[in-house]
Amino acid sequence: MSNGGTPLAQARALYRVDSELAAPPELADPDTLLNAFHPDHLRSSVVKLAVGANAGENCQRELAQQLQAEAFIDEADLAGAPVTDTDVLIIGGGGAGCAAALAAAGRGARVLLVTKLRLGDSNTVMAEGGIQAAIEPDDSIQRHIQDTLRGGHHAGDPELVSAMAQDGPEVIRWLIEEGMQFEQTASGDLHTRKAGGMSAARIMHCRDYTGLEMMRVLREAVIQHRGIEVWEHSPAVELLSNERGQKCVGAVFTSLLDGRFRIVRTHSVILATGGLGRLHLNNFPTSNHLGATGDGLVLAYRIGAQLRDLDSFQYHPTGLVHPPYLSGKLVTEGVRAAGALMLNAAGQRFVDELLPRDIVCAAILRECAEGRGIRVDDGRVGVWLDTPRLERSQPGMLERQFPKLLARTQMSGIDPRSEPLLIHPTLHYQNGGVVIDVNGATTVPGLFAVGELAGGIHGRNRIMGNALLDIISFGRRAGVAAISEHDRGPKKVTLEHVNQARRALTLAGMPLTQRAPQILPDYAAKGIWNR
Amino acid sequence: MTSTPAAATGDSQPAVNLTINGIAVAARPAMTLVEAAWHGGVPRVTGVSCLESVCGSCRVLLRRGKEVTVDLACQTFVEEGIEAVFLPPQATPKHHYEISEFTDSWNNLARFHEIFPEASHCRHCHGCVRSCPKGIDVESAINLAAAGHFRDAGEMFLECVMCDLCDSACPEQIAPAHVGLFCRRVSAHFRLRPPNLIQRLEEQRKERLLGQASPDSHE
Repeated sequence: MSNGGTPLAQARALYRVDSELAAPPELADPDTLLNAFHPDHLRSSVVKLAVGANAGENCQRELAQQLQAEAFIDEADLAGAPVTDTDVLIIGGGGAGCAAALAAAGRGARVLLVTKLRLGDSNTVMAEGGIQAAIEPDDSIQRHIQDTLRGGHHAGDPELVSAMAQDGPEVIRWLIEEGMQFEQTASGDLHTRKAGGMSAARIMHCRDYTGLEMMRVLREAVIQHRGIEVWEHSPAVELLSNERGQKCVGAVFTSLLDGRFRIVRTHSVILATGGLGRLHLNNFPTSNHLGATGDGLVLAYRIGAQLRDLDSFQYHPTGLVHPPYLSGKLVTEGVRAAGALMLNAAGQRFVDELLPRDIVCAAILRECAEGRGIRVDDGRVGVWLDTPRLERSQPGMLERQFPKLLARTQMSGIDPRSEPLLIHPTLHYQNGGVVIDVNGATTVPGLFAVGELAGGIHGRNRIMGNALLDIISFGRRAGVAAISEHDRGPKKVTLEHVNQARRALTLAGMPLTQRAPQILPDYAAKGIWNR
Repeated sequence: MTSTPAAATGDSQPAVNLTINGIAVAARPAMTLVEAAWHGGVPRVTGVSCLESVCGSCRVLLRRGKEVTVDLACQTFVEEGIEAVFLPPQATPKHHYEISEFTDSWNNLARFHEIFPEASHCRHCHGCVRSCPKGIDVESAINLAAAGHFRDAGEMFLECVMCDLCDSACPEQIAPAHVGLFCRRVSAHFRLRPPNLIQRLEEQRKERLLGQASPDSHE
């Protein structure tokens, strides 16, 4: 991938905070740029699925291996496993899972929330930039819908986008009532920012700790709610189906602490397991937390759920390259929204920094591939995010608005106020996912999917601030819808869908060697989870 | 391009020798304790998640000679001879409240002392301050909270990641992180009334009423 590039020390010496900058070159044809440089368009990146509800459709290669893998368990493993019954089972303890739990429990349901790591260990907690909702006088719900669809290259489902955008103001109110703080202007309005692909200022935030603020509030609310029971360190290894393998009636969990299986029976399962950055698609670094291994996609696909846009992922433009231990970790788009520019090794701008994320990402990869990047000792390449120039034009702004960025980089001796940050695109978000309706219901009865796991909202590219809105909007919708399932619950819980999936794999001549879900990346799984 | 954070540097530099969970590890310089644990094959390290010190999971006890401290493993770098032990997950908090049950904010201080009766027992031992991996002046914030200065106290906990190391250090079991979160939550719940948001909610409410009035219009 790297093609020369200027060594870091040399590029640092060349950098001038007060250099004259020309406007970036006009971008004639974004599609040509995307086709040439965006990782989704790498020819080796996509295969056709052979089995399942999406057979014949395109899918990213490493994800396809997961979706077409063998299950971990069969009926024999379930003998003697303890059984728990609940009204609503929620799998995943991030923002979407907590929102769903609070919505269902708030209406009197018994809720069991089961999570792989600790409650709140999620991508939500790391979200920095903010949450979108059209609340400013010069903005409207309609513009929010249009921006979201346009940013997603018109591949999103207008019904889902409209539902989410309509929910926006009420979601913010609900979060405030749960006790979440937001930045205010001197007059008491919520402070808003405009970010990439937005026609009006619409991002609300809590400094650059928006996700942390949201997650600790929701986590506390869930812990404190008498109607919600939480199991931690309990990854889902399989869903359960009825005798015909056609309805979801529960799930099987193991424990990272003692390895024992446990069965949960219910009439509504809400999957909220998040994304898959830790599969390191196309060998990219990732901004995601350690548990983001796409488990929910595998479980949903095996029980027959339709998925979509499985070849579309977001590589966030500004992942850190240096220092190495923060490789792939994010510098929020809020920094660019606040005015920070990007420069190549020659100190030139090369793209409008506030174009949609996929285009900015492709432009950075072009600079790196064509030798205009900056190279660190181990051969990785990046470009500058010009934070000193931002600080110079607005003294004190980095400290006031981006304390997390400062705290994190200064620990390793880098001060973004005086030194530009070396950045490179990082695997950030799964644009597609499980097909859902406006209530988060999947194509499988009894099974809901919400949050990053679900698809159709962000089309083929998500714009900033819509992820935090998505998880609360659809989390709450699914929580309400899940308790309206009125059947008496399952007579029998089986693994019939696993048998059916195995038969399909065998008929298609696929090897049954690999098992999924992944649960943890191999480099972090020693002694905890054996694949 | 590297896919794992641990695989970043070459083998040319001398190793840093330390122990993690009692196991000898030869790490590369500038690794964090999490990277070193993976690199050294330390088994059963379950409390790791965000890797950027905001989730509060990877709590470690550190021993340098006679000095014992606590920190987060993802923000602590390897040092020659250091002994690190990953701590078990936080206990479930023992206090209970639901913010929706709060109605009259004049009673917030009384409710606070019912929920956190230990908060006024602070011995000023600085244990919480020393244990905080975020450098928060926990002790001063707790005393502000006990005096009803919820907004100011809450603001001091802005960077709190709920690792609860302060709680482990507190001889009175005040649960300072949860006190801080309580302060932030009541401040937002009772004080945050933004005109721009309220205006838009009001517009939406009126639109819904209009929509209900005309029978042939649907959402």
